Amino acid sequence: MTLMTISLLAVITFTTRYLFLEGKLPLRLGPNVKQLLSFSAPAVLTAIFVPILFIHEQQLDISPTNAYLWGGVAAIIAAYKTHSVYWTIGVGTSVFLVGGTFL
Amino acid sequence: MFNRRKALLAAASKGALDMLPLSLAVLPWGILFGSLAIQRGFSWIEAQLFSAIIFGGAVQIVTVELMAEDTPLLTVLFSALVISSRHFLYGLTLREKLRAKPLRWRVGLGFLLTDELFSLSGDRRAYANRYRLYYALGAGGSFYLAWNVWTAAGIVAGAWLPDLTNLGLDFAIAATFIALVIPDIKSLPILVCVLVSAILSIVFSIYNLELGLVLAALIGMLAGFGLQKLRQAQ
Repeated sequence: MTLMTISLLAVITFTTRYLFLEGKLPLRLGPNVKQLLSFSAPAVLTAIFVPILFIHEQQLDISPTNAYLWGGVAAIIAAYKTHSVYWTIGVGTSVFLVGGTFL
Repeated sequence: MFNRRKALLAAASKGALDMLPLSLAVLPWGILFGSLAIQRGFSWIEAQLFSAIIFGGAVQIVTVELMAEDTPLLTVLFSALVISSRHFLYGLTLREKLRAKPLRWRVGLGFLLTDELFSLSGDRRAYANRYRLYYALGAGGSFYLAWNVWTAAGIVAGAWLPDLTNLGLDFAIAATFIALVIPDIKSLPILVCVLVSAILSIVFSIYNLELGLVLAALIGMLAGFGLQKLRQAQ
């Protein structure tokens, strides 16, 4: 039963990833849709990381003791200045850990 | 012939190298998932199978919790569909680049199309030729390997680890996505798109809206697109 459920879950995730890569799907994307979709990467990735920083136990946490916010601000500054994934994760996580210890 | 194979291999290695920080950033999550599955009573084969054939992040953690609570099958499947629905956007975005490629490339890269691989697909010439395809295969394939090795580590350590679900391990994921989004904000419409998505993702999370992530992203996209159209019209 568990294996069955896991297999069905695999079918679902694969379908969501593959569906629109299928050429036979009768679907033409006009220039406007393409232009709209050019915003998908920043939009989706933002909608994933922002709640990690702000929401804890389904509550908005904008208090100065929220180490996620300090780490997030540090990561944003590092990303803006260095354009480097390593520096961003390094600086962000350091500030997050230090904040978590002292706040 | 030999040189060409070498060049393809070099392209795949470059992909794996570019993916490396992201592969490392999900280490805590992979360990979290592996140990969580064991602690919730799954066998090690089942736990590993989640990562081997479902190959998702949040979707695995949520469905393991649901299945452990004996949630009805349809509810489990529907939750998975909701969490995975953002992938429809990735497929749509990459459709023109991949639709005409041979089936094995579409199926292979489709299977590997995570948030992480999508975030490395922004280049205008991504997937355009064999080298670019091998680059993506190296990036996506190495990420798949990493995710499964981290899961295995979590399975092995699971018996000794405390419950890790509330330890702040998700910060590394946030930092990675910050590193991918911020340098891409090169115009006012993209900035507006990001800000709208950010604010709405907070609001929808507070109200615990099931499709909040996708809705926040879609409205953010429309805001950026609208502004771009407005500026083009002027």
